[in-house]
Amino acid sequence: MIKVRIPTPLRPLTKNQGEVDIAAATIANMVETLEATYPGIKARLCDDSGELRRFVNIYVNEEDIRFLKGKDTALKAGDEVSIVPAIAGG
Amino acid sequence: MSDLIIPKQILDGMIAHARELAPYECCGILAGNNGIVSRQYRIKNIVATEGAQNLSSFDPAKAAHLERLSPAERAEIAFVMDMGDFSAAKKDMRNNGLDLQVVYHSHPHDPARPSVTDIKIATDYEEIWPKINLPAPAYLLISLMNPVPEVKNYWIKAGQVSPAPFAVR
Repeated sequence: MIKVRIPTPLRPLTKNQGEVDIAAATIANMVETLEATYPGIKARLCDDSGELRRFVNIYVNEEDIRFLKGKDTALKAGDEVSIVPAIAGG
Repeated sequence: MSDLIIPKQILDGMIAHARELAPYECCGILAGNNGIVSRQYRIKNIVATEGAQNLSSFDPAKAAHLERLSPAERAEIAFVMDMGDFSAAKKDMRNNGLDLQVVYHSHPHDPARPSVTDIKIATDYEEIWPKINLPAPAYLLISLMNPVPEVKNYWIKAGQVSPAPFAVR
């Protein structure tokens, strides 16, 4: 199992859970698995072609997946994945 | 804690960034060591990107307000950092042994004080910094509402704002 940290803006989709444990072999796999349980979350993370949106980061154990293998980044048991919303303000 | 030191060149660099993007908001980060800033990273403001407000921490009222505006109008009253740019800066900081010190943005039409939205998002982000291995930064505001720009720096902790004085060298 891997631990996925869900940011505040997405918690309405995850029944207000800040962390969810799921089984997934890659980031793409993780997104599909999350979508199956929490419909609507995929569209918040990925664009229509499945690429990570520019206003979200996904870190695997503190490393941005953009510097790993993107959505093909492999996951192993015990990994911690953080979904990080954009730094923003008004 | 002693005051942060911002070199004049970097202060001028942030004001130049704010003026270049006016009437839209600019955003970026400062990094350095031992309380001395040595690097400015400009980051794209992508709030005009369709749907960008959905995934940042905007509260429902602000998000609803942004939805009613055109993309250009949104960028006058809000910013959303391009997180690809942010991660590139984060990697550069790590490669050069620099610490994140400041998150900055401009207020083209308003005073150099954090807005309600700024305070909420900074507070939400407090739990995120340690998870991505970065120290919680100060928040610097550049106001262009008067002919002479005003620059002020703050700590935002648990919804409370306090001054974070800096010296220019």
